[in-house]
Amino acid sequence: MSVSKNKGTNLLRSSEKSSLRRFLALYIILVIFLLLLLGMFYYQSQEKLMFSNQRTVLSNHANEEVQKLRKIHNHFTTKEKDNKNKNSEEMKSKQEYPQCEDFRSAIYDIERVKIFSRLKNENVNFDKEVYRVNNTIQFVKYLDDYYLGAKYLFIEIDENNQWYEDTMIEILTLGSFALIILAIFGLFFVNLFLRPMKNSMQLLDDFIKDTTHELNTPISAILANVEMMDRDLMVEKNKKKLARINIAAKTVSHLYQDLTYLTLDHNRKSKDEWIDLKKLIEDRVEYFAILAGAKKVKFQLDLNYSTIFIDAVKIARVLDNLISNAIKYNKRGGTISITLRSNYFVIQDSGIGIEAKKVGDIFERYTRFNSSEGGFGIGLNIVKSIIEEYHLKIDVASIIGEGTKIRVDFLKGTVNDK
Amino acid sequence: MINKLIVIGLCTTGLIANPMSTKFQKKEKNIYQSHCIPCHQHRPYSLEKVYMLYLKTFSGETIFKASLKAFLKEPMEETSVMTDEWIDDFSVKSKTLLSDAQLDEAIDIYWKLYDVRNKLH
Repeated sequence: MSVSKNKGTNLLRSSEKSSLRRFLALYIILVIFLLLLLGMFYYQSQEKLMFSNQRTVLSNHANEEVQKLRKIHNHFTTKEKDNKNKNSEEMKSKQEYPQCEDFRSAIYDIERVKIFSRLKNENVNFDKEVYRVNNTIQFVKYLDDYYLGAKYLFIEIDENNQWYEDTMIEILTLGSFALIILAIFGLFFVNLFLRPMKNSMQLLDDFIKDTTHELNTPISAILANVEMMDRDLMVEKNKKKLARINIAAKTVSHLYQDLTYLTLDHNRKSKDEWIDLKKLIEDRVEYFAILAGAKKVKFQLDLNYSTIFIDAVKIARVLDNLISNAIKYNKRGGTISITLRSNYFVIQDSGIGIEAKKVGDIFERYTRFNSSEGGFGIGLNIVKSIIEEYHLKIDVASIIGEGTKIRVDFLKGTVNDK
Repeated sequence: MINKLIVIGLCTTGLIANPMSTKFQKKEKNIYQSHCIPCHQHRPYSLEKVYMLYLKTFSGETIFKASLKAFLKEPMEETSVMTDEWIDDFSVKSKTLLSDAQLDEAIDIYWKLYDVRNKLH
């Protein structure tokens, strides 16, 4: 397997992506709410328009009905009058209430007691002139002359839902279109708002990049000279001083390597090869031994043989940063356990630990566990970018006061199965 | 003989009423029939027409009955539903002599008799 892609840090850092997502989510929710509100107003206006159109028709029907009621009232006869023909007494004693194919009607007296009704829906509303009820539209007319004792005349017609379908289609079409347009505007605004933050980050990156160039030569000179010094001729006091110089130089060197990787190396093409992880871990532990020794931190190694197909510089950055953090945030006299198996390794310290809610943020660039410790907060960001590049899996478990455990799994195809 | 003729004559004219037949007649006629119909049956406006006139003016059973009762107790031109021509011809009726209870009973019978709710189909 070869990993030949050249993946650097993403154009948008995760903090920017998170801000972008949050802003867009908020913006989209607000836009949807606004569009729903507008849709509701539009729907209500269309409904009013429909009622206005229907009111004219229903009013005409009501006037027709009033004339019919007036006729019935004026010629109202009862069985007393029809007693002469006793065979048809029952039928003749009843007056036929007017009916029409186009509408149905009902009359109620002033006490809102039903006199007669042909309505489909009997749950009439005396206080609204026009209203919808169960797929019908009802209209109420207040009578001045109480024909048949009626104060309220209700006219009912079946509702034509065409206006409703047309309105909903219009709302959905225009709403979707507006949502797309506003979402595009939203993206534009987000980029506009994030620009100052991006500029600040860029400024910091540029500063680090420029500074890095100036660090290389003095660090190399210090480290080379420390290595070349003849310790046998030194008194014990000077040996300790030299060891401190060595630690300080290595710390700066480690920082230099991180900065170099971040600003320069990550843009170079990866040179993947099979790396003996056991040997590499032992090398890096030896490299950090003086640094750990200064805090009396002890390493506990449990390493099995394992290889991984990866760029040597990048896997070294991962190990260096994890071990460096384990030392930096460890307590004095603490331990660092490193376990290596065929498809994973674990680095566990006995340090201060991290709050559970902050665990997700530790890979953010310029984020530090503890402000009392030095550094730029870029080490774990580098680890994350390499882990993502090689599709590895990293899990962080931490308990405040007990320590932090970081496990890196090599996924299938990365680990040497031989 | 003369006495017999007098008795027969009184019986046929009803001056001497048979106690049994009188009792039967009282059961037959209610207060509406005995106190309202006798006067109105000789008027051009039937009681039914008056009812419809009242109904057109006063919607609802409670208002109808209250208005009619108030008019019967204190008849006035201003509160009458009849036309001016009618009042000119027949004048406003005289005050009722019926008690409130009798009046309520008579009006209830009148309302039920012509109630349009039972007469529409």
